[in-house]
Amino acid sequence: MIPAKIFLLCGQVFFILLFAPLVSGFIRKVKNNLRMRKGASIFQPYYNFVKLFSKNQVVSKHASWIFTATPAIVLSSSLAACFLLPVFRPGLSLNTTGDLLAIFFILALGRFFLALAGLDAGSSFGGIGSSREMFISSIAEPAAFVSLFVIGMNSSSTSAAAVAGEHFFRVSTLLAGFAFFMVVIAETSRIPVDNQETHLELTMMHEGMVLEYSGRSLAIIELAISLKQIIFFTMLSWFLLPFFNDTQWQWLQFPLKLLVISMIIAIIEVSFAKMRLFRVVDYLGFAFFIALLAAVSACMGI
Amino acid sequence: MVSAFLLSGFLITAFLMTIAKRITALIRTFRLQSLFLFLYALTMAVAGKHIELFVICVSILILKVGIIPYVLARIVRRINVEEDLGLIMNPQISLIIALLLSYFSYIFAHQIIPKALAVELATFVVSIAAICISFFIMVSRMKALSQVLGLLAMENGIFLAAVAITGGMPFFVEIAFSFDIFVFVIIIQVFVYRVNRLFTHIDTSKINSLKG
Repeated sequence: MIPAKIFLLCGQVFFILLFAPLVSGFIRKVKNNLRMRKGASIFQPYYNFVKLFSKNQVVSKHASWIFTATPAIVLSSSLAACFLLPVFRPGLSLNTTGDLLAIFFILALGRFFLALAGLDAGSSFGGIGSSREMFISSIAEPAAFVSLFVIGMNSSSTSAAAVAGEHFFRVSTLLAGFAFFMVVIAETSRIPVDNQETHLELTMMHEGMVLEYSGRSLAIIELAISLKQIIFFTMLSWFLLPFFNDTQWQWLQFPLKLLVISMIIAIIEVSFAKMRLFRVVDYLGFAFFIALLAAVSACMGI
Repeated sequence: MVSAFLLSGFLITAFLMTIAKRITALIRTFRLQSLFLFLYALTMAVAGKHIELFVICVSILILKVGIIPYVLARIVRRINVEEDLGLIMNPQISLIIALLLSYFSYIFAHQIIPKALAVELATFVVSIAAICISFFIMVSRMKALSQVLGLLAMENGIFLAAVAITGGMPFFVEIAFSFDIFVFVIIIQVFVYRVNRLFTHIDTSKINSLKG
């Protein structure tokens, strides 16, 4: 029986990998339509991937092995996190090897190497991007962890399989989910914190880090980033939209929930302006306090 | 099930109001909170099939989501009040205080109804917390308009408490109450205009200097 499960699991991860760029494309399409533009097709990320993958890449002669190793490390960390995520069937994951916190830490490994690679080539924009990314992630982490602990408290386990099968609808979980939502916006570099569409030198964070990459490496990094995004959205869908969890219809409700979350993210991106970098501290501080409030309410039992 | 969503939304808007830095943001958040209150009362009305509660829902929708925020926004436009709200404390400390207040409200609620159902307890805790936080908003702001908004948010909390405990106040009390709030906003409008004309600003901390 065990090989069958591993076969299914690999299929699930492969499907998520195929599905991940579609979410980015969909969000971009919705944003453009909300702005009364036509926008690129939702399959544009795939075309970009193919285009970039067939191009030559340029590596600075000052860059060390970190620069060349980073795309592989980032992609494999996202994939490893993906293996811990039950998506299509309840319990279809390696849930004995890691829990929600492990997912977050494995993704942090990828981010660490991206920040190193940004510094590695020695361009000034890469350095700016890395320092900003580290700044943001260091203040996003407390909020993320407190909210994950609250969710762990409510389902009496931090295992992803237990959380994904829970029917929450408790005030504390929803508050924690809201805090986690604010963190996810920062982590996936969406608008109130960062802007994915711009390459303006002064404001870019994530784009600054990967500025030196081209060709195949860039394609792999973009794939890894969209995979990380879909992992975060899946976790959000457990916390904020806990309808019909733990049923046989999980494979059907997963795309629907992703659709809802992508729509919400797109609407937020269109209707807010990007914050100043130092306002982000207030933003994530608010997320942290909402997570603390969730912890207090979980202790109250509401 | 739906009520958990609405209650957490209500609580989050109360927290947002403690840190709102601009008066327009404060008014918008108040409108959002009233919308959550309306939806909550609507679910209660549907669940309990109270016809009176339906009428009260409509009055919330018209007055608190519609007219009152509109009137307040018009005051802001008319007197060109500066956007700065005159916060006494920085946002982080205000959030810590709001957090402590919600914990105290839990202790209080637990003393009063120790054997309540989870949903009722949650509603009661959220409403008491909203009342306390709105009181804190009134204390910690220096501008007259933000104090008015604190009072209105407090009334939201009181209404939520009433719905939680008794399934809505008696019909005439609630109608009289909403009408009271409405008249209060109209009077405040005149009052703020006058304060503004006499002192050219509405910062109440500066009026204190008039004391002998």
